[in-house]
Amino acid sequence: MSSSSARSVRIECRGVCKRFYYYSHRTTTLREWFIRAVMRRPLHVRSEEFILRDFNLRVESGEVVALIGRNGSGKSTALRLIAGIYAPTAGTIRVNGRLASVIELGVGFHPDLTGAENVELAAGVMGLGPRALRERYKEIVAFAEIGAFIEMPMKYYSSGMSARLAFAVSMCADPDVVLIDEVLAVGDEAFRAKCIDRLASFVERGGTILLVSHEMPTVAKLCQRAVWMENGRIRKAGPAAEVIAAYQEESGARQESED
Amino acid sequence: MPKGSSETSRPPPERGRGRIAARARELWRFRFMLRSLILRDLKVKYKRSTLGFLWTFLNPLLTVSILIAVFRVVIRIPLEHYWAFLLSGYFAWNAVQHMLLSSSYILQTHSGLVRSTAFPKEVLLFGAAISRLIELAIELALILAVLGLVHHQGVPVGYAFLPLLMLLLAVATAGLMFPIATASVLFTDVQHTLPILTTSLFYLTPIFYPADMVPESFRGLYFANPFARLITLFHQALYEGRVPDGGLLLGTAAIALGLFAAGYAVFNRYKDVCNELV
Repeated sequence: MSSSSARSVRIECRGVCKRFYYYSHRTTTLREWFIRAVMRRPLHVRSEEFILRDFNLRVESGEVVALIGRNGSGKSTALRLIAGIYAPTAGTIRVNGRLASVIELGVGFHPDLTGAENVELAAGVMGLGPRALRERYKEIVAFAEIGAFIEMPMKYYSSGMSARLAFAVSMCADPDVVLIDEVLAVGDEAFRAKCIDRLASFVERGGTILLVSHEMPTVAKLCQRAVWMENGRIRKAGPAAEVIAAYQEESGARQESED
Repeated sequence: MPKGSSETSRPPPERGRGRIAARARELWRFRFMLRSLILRDLKVKYKRSTLGFLWTFLNPLLTVSILIAVFRVVIRIPLEHYWAFLLSGYFAWNAVQHMLLSSSYILQTHSGLVRSTAFPKEVLLFGAAISRLIELAIELALILAVLGLVHHQGVPVGYAFLPLLMLLLAVATAGLMFPIATASVLFTDVQHTLPILTTSLFYLTPIFYPADMVPESFRGLYFANPFARLITLFHQALYEGRVPDGGLLLGTAAIALGLFAAGYAVFNRYKDVCNELV
C-alpha cells in the first residue's frame, strides 16, 4: 500500500470514448489482402460504433465504486480501458498507484501450465519478483484453497478453482487499485464471503476498488457509490443506494411492460 | 496525432530519447514476467523427454549429417573439414528459424494474458527469443569445444567474437520477429506462409555452401540478406577461427539495428489493434 494516507485521486477518466468496429467483411489472409490491393478493392467493410461515450469518473483512495447496467452498456469496456488493456479512442485515463485487475477471472492463465507456474507468471506481470513471491506464496495457496492441485496443469481446474487462484494472486501484490469484473459471481457462497472480507479490509487500509457487477446485494453492501451505464453513456451516478434503486425501478418496469 | 485522440497515462507522451527511456523503464517493470516466461519455456521443453537437452541437440545434428552426406558425397563442396563448416553455421541459422517461427504464434499462445492483462506485448517476443538464445549458447559451447579439439587443435582468436555475433543475431532476428508477430495477428495465414519463406531463406544463406561460391557479380544483392552476412561472420569466427571482416561486421551491425528499429516501430504502430484482435 502506498504511504499517502490522505485522500488522493486513484482513477481519473475524462471524456473517454471508445470506438469499436464491426466487420461485415474483414480481410484476414495475406493472399486476400494482396488480391484486394491489386484490384483496388477496400480491405474491410465495417461499421463503427461507440461503445463508450464521454465517460467521466473520479475515484479516490478508500472508495468502492460499482459500475452497473444491462449487458452491453459499456461497463466492461470501461474497466478494460482503465486497466490499460484497450487504448481509448479519445479522452484521458489516469491511474495512480499499483493496479491489479481481475478481469475475466482466470482467462489470463495458461491452461498447460501448473497453478504454481501461472502464479509465478501472474505475479511477474504485476511486478512481483521471485523473492517477494516466495514470501506470499503460502498465503496465496491457502487463500485459494486448492491444496495439491497447485502442481497440476490449470486445464484440470474447475472454474471456481481458477477464479479463487486469480483472486488470491491479484490481491497478493499489495495493489492500490483493484478492478473487478463480475468475478465474485464465480466462487461458492463461502468463498465469496471470504473475498468480500478481504476486499473490505483492503479498502479499510486505503485501497480503491472499481467493480462491475450485476448482483445488487453485493453492490449495495460493498460500495458507497455506483455508476449506472446505458448504451455507452453514464445514465446516473451517485450514492449506491440511490442509483441501485433507480436502476432496479426501471428494470422492474421494463420487465412488467415486457410481460 | 490524429484528431480526437489524446494522451493516456500509458505510454507517457514523450518524444525522442525521453520516449525510449520511458519505454525501457516500462519494460524493466516487467523483468520478472520475462524471467518466468524464459524459465517456463526452457522447463517445458526439457521436461517433455527424458533425454532433454540431448534430444533437442540430436535433431539439428541429424540434419547436419544429412547435409554432410549430400554435399560431401553427392555434390562435392570442396572444403576442408566440411562437417566443421556446417556446425559453425547451421546451429545459428536453426535458432534464427525457430525464433522467427515462434513470433508467428507467441501472441496467440498467450491470448488469454493479452486480452485480460495490460503489459508490453514485446515481453512475450523477448521471452521466446531469449530462451532460444540460451539454448543456442549451450549448443555453441559444445560446438566450440569440438571444433577446438578436432578442427583447430587449439583456441583460435575468432572465438572471442562469438558473444558479439550472437548479439547481432539476436538484434537482427528480433527486428523481424516484431512485424511477423503483428502480421500473424492481422492475417491468419502468416503462420502457414512463414515456413515457406524460412525455407527459401535457408537456400539464400550460406549454410551448406560458403559465401565465396556466390559469383562476385551477385555478391552485393546476396549480402542484402542480413542472415547471409551473419552466418558468414559465424564461419569466419568459428570455422576459420579468425577475426571477422571489419567492414562486414560494421555493415551487419548497422543492418541489424536498422531492422530492429523499423520492426519495433511497426509493432508499436499496430499494437493497440493487435490487443483487440488476438
